[in-house]
Amino acid sequence: MDMFSNLYDGFAIAITWQNLLLALVGCFLGTIIGALPGLGPSNGVAILIPLAFSLGLGPTPAMILLTSVYYGAMYGGRISSILLNIPGDEPAMMTCLDGYPMARKGLAGEALSLSGIASFVGAFLATWGLIFLAPQLVQFALLFGPAEYFALFALAFATLGGVSSTNQAKSAFAAMLGLGLAMIGVDQQTGTPRLTFGDVHLYDGIDFLVAIVGLFALSEVFIFLEHRHGKADADDTAVKVGRLTPSWATLKTCTPSILRSSCLGFLAGVLPGAGASLGSFISYTVEKRLVDRDGTFGTGDPRGVAAPEAGNNAAAGGALVPMLALGVPGSGTTAVLLAVLLSLNITPGPLLFNHNPDVVWGLIAALFIANFVLLALNIPLVGLFTRVLMVPPRILMPFVAMVSFVGIYGISGSAFDLQMMVGFGILGWVLRKLDVPLVPIILGTLLGNMMENNLRRAISISNGDWWVLIQSPLAIGLWIVAIVGFVLPIFVGRLVKARMRSRAPASEWAADEAPADRP
Amino acid sequence: MSDRIFGAVGVLLAVFYGWAALQTEESFLSDIVGPKAFPLIIASILGLSSLIIFAFPDAKPKWPSLPRLVELFAAVVVLMLYAEFLDEAGFVFATALAATYLSWRLGSPPVQAVIAGVAIAVSIYVVFHLVLGLSLARGPFGF
Amino acid sequence: MLASTLRKSLIGGLVGLALGSGAAPAQDFVPENPECIAPANPGGGWDFTCRQVGRTLQDLGLISATMQVVNMAGGSGGTAFAYVVNERNDDDDLIIAASSATATRLAQGAFPGNTMDQVRWLASVGADYGVIAVAADSPIQTLPDFFEQMATAPETIAIGGGSAVGGWDHLKVLIAAQAYGIDDVRAVRYVAFEGGGEAVTQLLAGSLQGFSGDLSEVRGFIESGDVRVLAVLAPERLAGDFADLPTAREQGIDAIGANWRGFYAPGDMSDEAYDAWVEMITELYASDEWQEVMVTNGLAPLDLQGADFEAFVAESIARIEALSREIGIIQ
Repeated sequence: MDMFSNLYDGFAIAITWQNLLLALVGCFLGTIIGALPGLGPSNGVAILIPLAFSLGLGPTPAMILLTSVYYGAMYGGRISSILLNIPGDEPAMMTCLDGYPMARKGLAGEALSLSGIASFVGAFLATWGLIFLAPQLVQFALLFGPAEYFALFALAFATLGGVSSTNQAKSAFAAMLGLGLAMIGVDQQTGTPRLTFGDVHLYDGIDFLVAIVGLFALSEVFIFLEHRHGKADADDTAVKVGRLTPSWATLKTCTPSILRSSCLGFLAGVLPGAGASLGSFISYTVEKRLVDRDGTFGTGDPRGVAAPEAGNNAAAGGALVPMLALGVPGSGTTAVLLAVLLSLNITPGPLLFNHNPDVVWGLIAALFIANFVLLALNIPLVGLFTRVLMVPPRILMPFVAMVSFVGIYGISGSAFDLQMMVGFGILGWVLRKLDVPLVPIILGTLLGNMMENNLRRAISISNGDWWVLIQSPLAIGLWIVAIVGFVLPIFVGRLVKARMRSRAPASEWAADEAPADRP
Repeated sequence: MSDRIFGAVGVLLAVFYGWAALQTEESFLSDIVGPKAFPLIIASILGLSSLIIFAFPDAKPKWPSLPRLVELFAAVVVLMLYAEFLDEAGFVFATALAATYLSWRLGSPPVQAVIAGVAIAVSIYVVFHLVLGLSLARGPFGF
Repeated sequence: MLASTLRKSLIGGLVGLALGSGAAPAQDFVPENPECIAPANPGGGWDFTCRQVGRTLQDLGLISATMQVVNMAGGSGGTAFAYVVNERNDDDDLIIAASSATATRLAQGAFPGNTMDQVRWLASVGADYGVIAVAADSPIQTLPDFFEQMATAPETIAIGGGSAVGGWDHLKVLIAAQAYGIDDVRAVRYVAFEGGGEAVTQLLAGSLQGFSGDLSEVRGFIESGDVRVLAVLAPERLAGDFADLPTAREQGIDAIGANWRGFYAPGDMSDEAYDAWVEMITELYASDEWQEVMVTNGLAPLDLQGADFEAFVAESIARIEALSREIGIIQ
């Protein structure tokens, strides 16, 4: 087939010792950047662009280095989620929900290697999807007009309730808080400042990185400070690491989740703007709805680790489709990659596959290489990563706090952002105390502006007719899923729980019941 | 009780947010929806969920004792000072101080805390500045 | 070496070290860490300006270090403008991409508290003519048809572009609509997107019936045949690949929308640095390499530097202000 000969040519371009070395360096740096709170894939790639240029790399080696960093950061984000309950970057947010409980149970090694495998499968399938389906996927992306985007985002928020293991009013509160924060800044449609109270610092809005690092990382530090006892960490440090590879049984139970999540995540990635965070989020919520019969999601279910990781890595691959085929970046990271391509005098767009086949196929080969390097790098290193748990919190937590500050300061260089981050740390601590989930806040700040802009575009296009929001079959379908996702847990959750209780002895259920959905 | 207060604060926040959204100046040539509608929708759902929290509170969370609260407050003050004076003091110096404080308050003996603080500051400087090339605060000593 | 070349990351509002450039040599200023702020997301016109110019300057050996391009989206360039005025006002290594869009926002007072004389205007590097385009499968064939339909059934045409409401992409359609004879500006239903690329995507998706932007934004889509240009808002037909695109004027609609592209620099940039930058861009403009870039990207000539450019921008702002007042965008 034509495609395979193209791919063969791509590998012929990509496989040289220099490129393999670049891939290795990129994957390693990317993993570290991903694992450090405050630095994610988009700034990781941005940080290394000068390196690519100063080494005088041509288009293909430069893209190999940068996509390795990109995929590496997507892999790396999970490490701090699992070990520290602090997402290394925003798509790894969902991995905290089950990854950290697994680590607490002494399954840190298993969680890390399982998520590494899930990441690999997600990214691997997504790369094949990119090869075979790019033209069709462009058609899929074109099905989404403003009204459909709005419905999609509404769906994400409607299905929040069940995810975050508290009552739905608190989830809704958190989501609105996040959306509300996103509104701050200059309105993108009309250019008028909103909710800024005249403060120039707020004109550009609140960077979600500031919010995520403050809410997760600093509040974690505060919780440790709160619980410190006289003899420090004697009781907390003895965390078991457990086996370093998942058992076959675990892999087998997770395989369907991984495959489903890869597809979903990939599709979410293909939609410009939705990106990896939505991919991991949707993967997790769907898996929870589908397979969480015993209410173990949120308490350290391996499937709850595998699903979001497969989802976000698949989305990372999917996000390359609109970037390459339409020249429209689907996420912050692809925006940076697009910028690199442009500065290398390559214009992504409908004709890229015809005009620059060497670049496209070289890039695809690079993705495969990066993915295999990452698998080879990540599984043996699990033992090393878990050493982090051996560091006593009195050293680890100051380190985490300081890294958080540096991550934000290094990107924005603004003391104002740091102050705001401390503020978010306090907010995060209070909200955790009150059992308000933090995930919806981040989702809100991430998606808020896109959600609003698409609503306003849809209404502008329809000339003020709000019914436009439910006029296409796709939009109607999305709304139905959203409504079902919102209403169902309220009724079914109660029903299922009652049935469970009658089947199992009460004592066994007492422990697991708390985090399950409550209406 | 905590949730009652939380719900009440939430309602106040929603009202304030709605009021702040209404202060937005609208230009003559705006789109149909305008810049106020979406924030107002947010404010109303925020208020509604706060009311529900107020009406159906969860079990009371465990709040820390007063000395622990003072501890937290002190940490917040230290971090705020860190953020404020980072530019003047230089990255390594300020970070070493803040990390030492945190490590000490988390239970390290003073000498160990100083060692930990300096080590943290220097290692972050090496990774972020020398390897990744991020610009950190320079301060009077150039680092 | 690594550390010094890596010193600056690309994203966001990095500040830090660049402020420490007070010790520049008195003559023959050479930017040590040349940096260009593109006040929009990657892929748009400003981004293109920064990157192409940075690249060509380096190819010509006019700068030794790679030009760092920083994308700073927000407020149609207002965020970057305020940032430069407030935080980078004496930076000798910094230039900022600007265009008619910048002039438009300044003219309409849309950068609160900012005026054109807070910065120094360097030079232009060309002009990008506006286009009005439809999807290839659209029944509309000519510009008069397009406005005819807009006049008789305004609810059937939504037109999108990469600038905010009242911005340059919006203004261009209004100019053309007015030239056609549509007086009610509200008949033109304009939808704002984050960039030209997104607007074109929605044009292809069928959400929009028209697109207003610059030629460089639709280039790839013209070649692939996905988009049909109804009119170029140029005084006469362009040279090269775009010679078969009709102008608005030849269809009886006397509308010209030239989006000039150029740079401004911080207001307190030293005179040596300012002169050096002007000199560099003048040399760039005269080079064969740049002429080639202009031809391949459909940029028309516009050759203004230093004081001439400053006067041109002032005039351009005055004209847009008058126009905006006439149309009713500002009171």
